[in-house]
Amino acid sequence: MTESIYALKGIRHCYGDLVALSIDDFAVAPGSIIGLVGPNGSGKSTLLRMLSFLEKPSQGEILFSGSSEESSTRSARLHVTLLDQEPYLLKRSVMENVAYGLKVRGMRQGYAIRVKEALSWVGLAPEEFARRQWYELSGGEAQRVALACRLVLHPRVLLLDEPTSSVDATSAALIKEASLRARQEWGTTLVIASHDWPWLHEVCDEVFHLFRGSIIGSGMGNVLFGPWTIRADGLAEKHLADGTAILVSAAPNEKSMAVIDPRSVSVHKAPAATEGRANTLAGTISALALQKHSGRVLVTATVDSIHFHAELSSTEVRARGVFPGEQAWVCFRPEDVRWI
Amino acid sequence: MTRTKQVLAVALMFVAVTGFIAPAGAENQVLKMATTTSTDNTGLLDYLAPRFKQDTGVELQWVSVGTGKALELGRNCDVDVLLVHAPAAEKKFVEEGHGVDRRQVMYNDFVVIGPRTDPAQVRGLAVADAMKKMARDKAIFVSRGDDSGTNKKEIGLWKKAGIEGIDKEAWYVQTGQGMMATINVAAERNGYTLTDRGTYITYENNQKGNPPLVILVEGDPGLFNQYSVIPINPAKCPDTKFDLAKKYSDWMASEPIQQFIGDFKLLDKQLFIPNAK
Amino acid sequence: MNYILEGLVKAFQLLLRGDPETYSAIRVTVQVSTYSMLASLCLGLPLGFLLGYGTFPLKKMVRTLVDTLLSLPTVLIGLIVYAFVSYRGPLGEYGLLFTLPAIAIGQTILALPVVVALAATAVESLDQRLHTTLLTLGANPRQFLLSNLWEARFGLLAAGVAAYGRVLTEVGISMMVGGNIKWHTRTITTAVALETGKGQFGMGIALGLVLMAIALTVNLSLFFLRKRTRH
Repeated sequence: MTESIYALKGIRHCYGDLVALSIDDFAVAPGSIIGLVGPNGSGKSTLLRMLSFLEKPSQGEILFSGSSEESSTRSARLHVTLLDQEPYLLKRSVMENVAYGLKVRGMRQGYAIRVKEALSWVGLAPEEFARRQWYELSGGEAQRVALACRLVLHPRVLLLDEPTSSVDATSAALIKEASLRARQEWGTTLVIASHDWPWLHEVCDEVFHLFRGSIIGSGMGNVLFGPWTIRADGLAEKHLADGTAILVSAAPNEKSMAVIDPRSVSVHKAPAATEGRANTLAGTISALALQKHSGRVLVTATVDSIHFHAELSSTEVRARGVFPGEQAWVCFRPEDVRWI
Repeated sequence: MTRTKQVLAVALMFVAVTGFIAPAGAENQVLKMATTTSTDNTGLLDYLAPRFKQDTGVELQWVSVGTGKALELGRNCDVDVLLVHAPAAEKKFVEEGHGVDRRQVMYNDFVVIGPRTDPAQVRGLAVADAMKKMARDKAIFVSRGDDSGTNKKEIGLWKKAGIEGIDKEAWYVQTGQGMMATINVAAERNGYTLTDRGTYITYENNQKGNPPLVILVEGDPGLFNQYSVIPINPAKCPDTKFDLAKKYSDWMASEPIQQFIGDFKLLDKQLFIPNAK
Repeated sequence: MNYILEGLVKAFQLLLRGDPETYSAIRVTVQVSTYSMLASLCLGLPLGFLLGYGTFPLKKMVRTLVDTLLSLPTVLIGLIVYAFVSYRGPLGEYGLLFTLPAIAIGQTILALPVVVALAATAVESLDQRLHTTLLTLGANPRQFLLSNLWEARFGLLAAGVAAYGRVLTEVGISMMVGGNIKWHTRTITTAVALETGKGQFGMGIALGLVLMAIALTVNLSLFFLRKRTRH
């Protein structure tokens, strides 16, 4: 078994009294692609800052390639780089921006070739963009230049914090493509925090769910948040805007969080005949994605702004005719819910 | 990177051009003197210094300040020699051991100037009578009030005239500034003041021959203003150039230079009367 | 009041005829202000960065102190420097009184709070994401400091211009510790004071205008430098 590139043990990080991150055991294999999902404020960005050695945890230890980060924060930082959601470009030309990381590593000559390569990876023609100034770029172009600044370093680890959430579709596609190419060319480990579930499920070896600073599960679980209303019969329900409700098994309390395995969720074109108290919720198909390992299809349906993910075989998808934009029914049984 | 280098190069050039030009003239003997504004402002020192250099090879550098400050610079060993005009303070300075071989070299005179209309009627009076009259009429009198030689002289004159406690009188205006500024204040306030003749001649000339203030009292022996050269005591200030200071003192008192001082004219008027003994 | 017109005409005469006394004063002024600006920038920029970026106890008090020092009067600086460099002072043995280095020391003290305070403000107003970006791209502490200063360069330039303005126009320090010695320590401002003392108001105004011309030259070159670094 290969050594983990990251091993986190007993991490606690606090901002004042607030526990921002609490992870007992977490490891990342070299060359893997890891997804982090969770609502805003769940600790994704904090975890990425730890992994990029920009912040030290209040307690606990992060091993990088088996050695403690205490000994060599900066040397670890030379192999690891983070792309923020809102990129910052230095007040210099695009060429100088992308070359910066090479120059601080002591590269004085020959960086132009690597800069041009990195720019072309993110779809920016070097002859057109290299001479541009920082204020002569659109938001999407700036984000791509920021990615090129990281790619040019040939990093061992590339950490991406919501890399596509605030850019146009073309830029988003180019950013996704270039990140994966780094993985293919140099075996770069990718850790991606994103709300883009289909993308994560498509490319990631593993997806972790964060909630209130903790990793609450991995895989393709659906996460349901309260508030729950406890019913007389012991079950709990969450009221939706259209008057219907999601029914789940007995909730520990009204703020608990529930997880449902996508394999327990089904999506149908017509309301299926349901047995017992099963949920049948009206929604819209928003995405289809091929799962990297299982070869099955992850169908995402949106019900009153809640995303449900269901895992179907490609045959089932074709047979049921569930395609993006179509109305569909999301079905699952209340007792399939697992409480966190 | 190239831009940073350019900026650096420009900065270095700037330093090179400005910084490494050696001060004019090769390394030579320099005598530092503290003197009063009157000798500098009249141009006397600009007239004497080249001759001193020619005769002795020593460069004379001077700072012109009020007599009070000139004496203070001497006390702190910051200069080698003084050329000042405040006999009482000078005597005290020498008695305290800060200076040695005080030598009187020349004098000029003070004049009382005032408005042409002469509201206190002091024209032609002896200086003591004039002071008394101005105090009695509460005529505006503008004083330097800066502890300079002129200011000390003026305070002495009030004392001799038996007038005291005028410091807070409304008619007694103290400027705390140099002679020319003080004359200008007197002109603006239509008042009297005491000035050295040299500054007045300059002032008169600046006014294109039609000055609002004119000389009202002059020629009284009490208005004479004795200048002395005082080398700083090497026993107190071992690093001062006593030999050069002495050389300067002897040079100032020598026959040809005494003659030379007498020949100095500002706008065709003699300013300093040599009287070295 | 035709001093102003007379001054304007004389200013041109002095410059065009190459009046040696005027050029000596210009040389002294430029030389001494260059020394003091170099010293205050070398000391002030890192200190300003620390004050703007760093976190340390009593930071707010230090900030207030620096802001207070902005109003340090030049005569007070002159007196303090005099007390130090006078023969009887602690630095008396170096014989600095009535020399350009003495003036430069005083002017550095004058300019330093301006540079520190404005540099701190410029560094403070930098984007937080800049710090993250520099670190994650691998900058070491020295590169981090320099890159921060470079990012704040427009603010720092303004700090330099403000400090230069104070240095160029001060008269108290030059007069007190320079002594206004002709050909040696006579700056343009002390020459103006002297000419005013002599009643040569026109000449005073002429020299004042020469000083303005120097300031204009410096600011114009900075303006073009700034344009170059932008494009």
